[in-house]
Amino acid sequence: MESKKLASLFQEDLCIFSLRSRKKTSVLQEMVRHLKASGKIADEHFILEMLKNRESLGSTGLGLGVAFPHGRSIAIPDLTVLFARSPSGIDFEALDSEPTKVFFLILAPSEKGAETYLALLSRLTALVQQPETLEKLYEVKNFESLQAVLGSDNG
Amino acid sequence: MREEFRLLVALQDLDIMIKEVEEKKTSDQLKNMGFQLDGLEELQKARATLAGKIPPALRNRYEKLAGRYRMAIIPVTDDKCLGCFVKLPTSFFSSAYSSELITCENCGRLLFIP
Repeated sequence: MESKKLASLFQEDLCIFSLRSRKKTSVLQEMVRHLKASGKIADEHFILEMLKNRESLGSTGLGLGVAFPHGRSIAIPDLTVLFARSPSGIDFEALDSEPTKVFFLILAPSEKGAETYLALLSRLTALVQQPETLEKLYEVKNFESLQAVLGSDNG
Repeated sequence: MREEFRLLVALQDLDIMIKEVEEKKTSDQLKNMGFQLDGLEELQKARATLAGKIPPALRNRYEKLAGRYRMAIIPVTDDKCLGCFVKLPTSFFSSAYSSELITCENCGRLLFIP
């Protein structure tokens, strides 16, 4: 997946640059409500349940201050990505037990295969392994700066 | 949407997740990215709890369809069943909004309006 394509998957109305929630479940709720408010989903119940179940499989907080809540549901019409940031970080039960500051919520339609979102997930998990990129992601405050970080990656 | 249909949709989402973990190729990909997938037992327990809340007749109908097709419940897009791609009759839409469970007359799958 080329960096240009990666950046183009993000939308300004699907970004939260300062999450209000302070707890794991409420962060998931806030992101899902944002999707509903933006018209991306009709019913937040299914998505929230699916994401909570996914977290019971193992935290999607991979450490380094980044989490990747993800999954497939029949209630998702298209591949959808939401970016969210918590400046102070929250306890997302990350694998390294450190606070999580950056969230990439990735949702895909269930009638399509897992490969529809796995490629994107793979690209993003690789992206945050670059220390410079990661530092910039912690600090993004608007869509332009997010696009610059995602578009500058040559991975 | 009727409550039991909501539960059925949640059950299918859970089944898809469980299947992904059980598929070696997908779970290997996820593990290579750093995800831990240790909670399969938790998911299976959640599935059993959820399945127990669904009336047996409806659950059996779902299980039969899930055994036959990759997905028992399928979305409707552009007036078509996305399982068999057959255009749905106009009568479908009047009954759909009466919150009854709708079945594709061609393939028998349960239909979901996104």
